Amino acid sequence: MTTQNIIEISGVEKRFGTFTAVRDLNLTLKEGEFFSLLGPSGCGKTTALRMIAGFQDHDAGTIRIGGQDMEHIPANKRPTNMVFQSYAIFPHLNVGDNVAFGLRKLKLGKAETEERVAEALEMVELGGLQSRKATELSGGQRQRVALARALVMRPKVLLLDEPLSALDKNLREAMQFEMRRLQQKLGITFVMVTHDQYEAMTMSDRIGVMFKGQLKQVDKPEVLYARPCSQEVAAFIGGMNFLDAAVTGEMNGKLHADVRGFGPLSIDVNPNVARRGPQLLAGIRPEQLEISAQKPDGYDGYLQGTVTNAAFYGENVHYHVTADGLPQPIAVSVPNYFHTVDHKQGDPVWLGVQNASVIDLGAREA
Amino acid sequence: MSTPVSEPLNKPLSTAASKPRRRPLRFPWLLVYAIGYLIFLYLPVLLLPLFSFNDGTIVAFPMKGFTLKWYAQLGEQDTLLQAMVNSLIVGAVTALVATSLGLFAARAYVRYRFKGRELSEGLVMLPLVIPGIIVASSMLVLFISLGLKPSLTTVILGHVFVALPFAVSIMKSAFDDFDQSLEEAAFDLGESVIGTFRRVTLPIVAPGIVASLLVTFTVSFDEFVLAFFLSGNQPTLPVYIWSQIRFPAKLPNTLALGSLLLLASVLLLLTAEYFRRRSAKSA
Repeated sequence: MTTQNIIEISGVEKRFGTFTAVRDLNLTLKEGEFFSLLGPSGCGKTTALRMIAGFQDHDAGTIRIGGQDMEHIPANKRPTNMVFQSYAIFPHLNVGDNVAFGLRKLKLGKAETEERVAEALEMVELGGLQSRKATELSGGQRQRVALARALVMRPKVLLLDEPLSALDKNLREAMQFEMRRLQQKLGITFVMVTHDQYEAMTMSDRIGVMFKGQLKQVDKPEVLYARPCSQEVAAFIGGMNFLDAAVTGEMNGKLHADVRGFGPLSIDVNPNVARRGPQLLAGIRPEQLEISAQKPDGYDGYLQGTVTNAAFYGENVHYHVTADGLPQPIAVSVPNYFHTVDHKQGDPVWLGVQNASVIDLGAREA
Repeated sequence: MSTPVSEPLNKPLSTAASKPRRRPLRFPWLLVYAIGYLIFLYLPVLLLPLFSFNDGTIVAFPMKGFTLKWYAQLGEQDTLLQAMVNSLIVGAVTALVATSLGLFAARAYVRYRFKGRELSEGLVMLPLVIPGIIVASSMLVLFISLGLKPSLTTVILGHVFVALPFAVSIMKSAFDDFDQSLEEAAFDLGESVIGTFRRVTLPIVAPGIVASLLVTFTVSFDEFVLAFFLSGNQPTLPVYIWSQIRFPAKLPNTLALGSLLLLASVLLLLTAEYFRRRSAKSA
């Protein structure tokens, strides 16, 4: 595995009039990495991608691809290719000509062009469809043609702008695995922009989370999920219960804190935390809580409450539990073992939590 | 979906729905009005081809008999043919210039948000509402003061002015549904700006271009007022026809020519509409 840097972005900024779309972006991507920029719409992730592609100039900072400064290098001269959200399949060309579009500039022979087109289509499992009209393609096929058309150029970096958002759920899930497989086989760096946290988590080696033009955290999916740097990031990725806690002491990388509702708990210090304050914010994932009619054994913290809501989600069952002194109900998610909803609205229940399940989130955000 | 319980409930509902509520029978005023309107609009136009086959020089009922001689004589009239050639030249050049200008203007109007966009768009569309006679007389004054003698060139300049709004609006509708990322994709795949325009933009808006060429040609070909003021001693066809109308003996020839032009115009506009729809569909 090579560990050479393929993209180095430092201090990049982009303004549209008085609006700063991207501020102080710093990011280094390794060769062969699948990286996702994740964030809500309008957070600047697409602008960041378009600056890497060369469709937008940056106002400050530097972007280097393969060690080369990209300042004043237009999109058609960069070693990147892009898969557009709309796929941008040329409607007047057939599949083969769409894929061969960029090869014309490389002045390859006819035989080599055809060979590379066939190879690229084979790669996305559209072998032999060269003469199919662009207008006769299904959504999934259009996506594959867009991929083949970009990959046939053998880019150093493939950029993907919400590549799966136009597909229906089943196709989207199938394509997630397929794109991941393709990326690993080719060893090309993929940079994907998405607002879908599950898509980002299932496909990426690392994820960068962006809010309001700023990159807040860059980490592996499991680290992002277990050790988010702030309340904002924690809330965007997966479900999370936020509870205020009063720190009573710190020892050996553990915070001793009185967590509202659950009492004294020992929480691992989260090294990613961006901001500390006098109050501690503790986070607990809904699926890491135990819910039971009787007090369960073997937990570090307990809470006695009442079920206010029970919903069957298929693969799991969601409960909302309230207790005195809690500003918000606590969300609990339990795997669906026996197709039953065990607790009804109004039932008294016990919640149990382990020390290791409580996440240190630093200071609460206003 | 249908459970036995809901079925008797559905029955009376569906029979009620299948029988549309009848309005009381009335005299169909609207239909009469519509037909009367269409007759008023198109009957005069239909008289033109009708009398072009009339074997007599007086345009009045009763008609004398059927003849094709007025059509046959058209080919022998040199000044008429020259006027026809003039019109074709003016029409073709006008169509090319107006469509080229319209293509770039429309792309800018649809793609970019720039200062003065609305003002400039309004100014381009203005010739549609300025009276032709005003445009014609002021252009004549302008051209003469610039030292341009009335000729086909001045007619072309005038016609480009009045045809441009048509070209711009047709090209705008061609660009409206044009996905901008198509151009970006081509550029991203290594194509140059000009190559992108040639290999992606042009082919996709081609039906719109054809429609614009046909419509602007027709606009120019039919135009009288500007041509009358600006053509000098090189009359276009409408100007020539107008000059011939004063001679009763020539009238049937003019009718024959007019009928042919009518037919050609209708065919042109139908073709243009076909291409316009195709461009709207394919984009």
